[in-house]
Amino acid sequence: MSDEKTIICRCEEVSLKTINDTVYQYSCSSREVKLRTRAGMGYCGGRTCRHVIDTIVADLNQKVITDDIQLSYRPPVRPITFGALGGVYHENESC
Amino acid sequence: MTSFDIVVIGAGIIGSSVAYHLSKAGYSVALVEKGDIAHGTSSRCDAVALICDKKPGIDTEMGFKSIQLYKELAKEFSFDFEFSSRGSLYVCETEQELEIAGDYVAQQRADGYDMKMVDNKELLEIEPYLAKDLRGGIWTEVDSTMNPYLVCFAFIEEAKKYGLKLFTNHEVREITQSPDGRVESVITDRTTIHTNRIVNCAGVWAAKIGQMVGIDIPIRPRKGMVLISEKTKPIVNQKVHEFGYMLSKFEDITYKRAVSKLVEDNNIAFTIEPTEADNFLLGGHRAFKGYDISSENDVMRGIAERAIRFLPILKDINCIRAYAGIRPWVADHLPIVSEVEEVPGFFIASGHEGDGISMAPITGRMVTQLITGQETDFNIDRLNFSRYKLLEKV
Repeated sequence: MSDEKTIICRCEEVSLKTINDTVYQYSCSSREVKLRTRAGMGYCGGRTCRHVIDTIVADLNQKVITDDIQLSYRPPVRPITFGALGGVYHENESC
Repeated sequence: MTSFDIVVIGAGIIGSSVAYHLSKAGYSVALVEKGDIAHGTSSRCDAVALICDKKPGIDTEMGFKSIQLYKELAKEFSFDFEFSSRGSLYVCETEQELEIAGDYVAQQRADGYDMKMVDNKELLEIEPYLAKDLRGGIWTEVDSTMNPYLVCFAFIEEAKKYGLKLFTNHEVREITQSPDGRVESVITDRTTIHTNRIVNCAGVWAAKIGQMVGIDIPIRPRKGMVLISEKTKPIVNQKVHEFGYMLSKFEDITYKRAVSKLVEDNNIAFTIEPTEADNFLLGGHRAFKGYDISSENDVMRGIAERAIRFLPILKDINCIRAYAGIRPWVADHLPIVSEVEEVPGFFIASGHEGDGISMAPITGRMVTQLITGQETDFNIDRLNFSRYKLLEKV
């Protein structure tokens, strides 16, 4: 399968080729890859591809792959409507 | 020996613009950054260039000139930073807000800026999803949006064409000075760069750099949180914010909104802006929490609550992510763009609070004018660092 057809970030439809090209061109961190390509910025917030992006970038930059996660975790844990968040709907809440 | 005409510290939006303008003017420039490009505030913000949130006078003049410069840069640069002049809308909840807004618009119009009061009916024609009970607002056609970190990348890519050298992942540890006080070199954790001019564009970290040459720069980090919506239909076509935003930004305006304790306690005022990716960014919030950029549950709830009040359609739209950033705040809400008299060769371009993206082009231009000894576009005495010494004497 070609790099062009291998999708790394499914939400934003970013291919392996795009990620490889970005790292070669800018020799940058996975954080910068994210900002330049939108990989990891989609609906799932990088839950699916974060680890894969980190691994690809570490590999291309010939860095030792460590347990450190470069791409950050941010709330909410999963998508939530503004209605539930703002207190209009009280889904799964006891109060 | 590594040697440059000028070392710019900080590769956020201000440092990127300053580095671009200086490189283009023919100087050899090193841009030194402790992380990556746009590692701090410039990737944890929203991104608008507005005049409608500026105070009448120099604040608005700089904002307006900056938008004109962005329009030129967007055409000139080969790197697309998603610039678009969509306009912006301030919305008023009460007659009292509308009255304050009316006075403000009259003042701006007298200075020649194109702002327009709109009534409830016009408001809903411009943005049909807004709550039906809003009284009216201010429409500013010239206001623009862009992608904050792509602007940084764009400035740097263009600057590289003029020879800019980038030192990312270099943390500045020390600045050496000659016996007469002039700056001599910048020492990072990895190298030493010789230079006789330094521009401190470190934003919320500017004070730490200032300490290295023995000066006290009164910039404090002011936190703000942003919520990101899922990709959705165009629920607004431009930046929309409540007029109360103005009231939360400038502490000297005394006006109390009828809001919940959660919204009040967390200094939350509704803002929303569209992005090219069809996600929407929602805010806004201002608080002094040091350098903490963790997400706060209360603030997220407050922003969502306030957003639904103005845009009820958001109830059923998902929030997919939240982030926080810190703005370089100064007491008088004007950036410091200045040479430092007591340290020859040391310049400061920091303290733009929430206006860094907005004012980056004009700041880069003015720093270049200061360094080349040209007259600046505006009289920038009020942006001089020495204003704080005068305050101390008082």
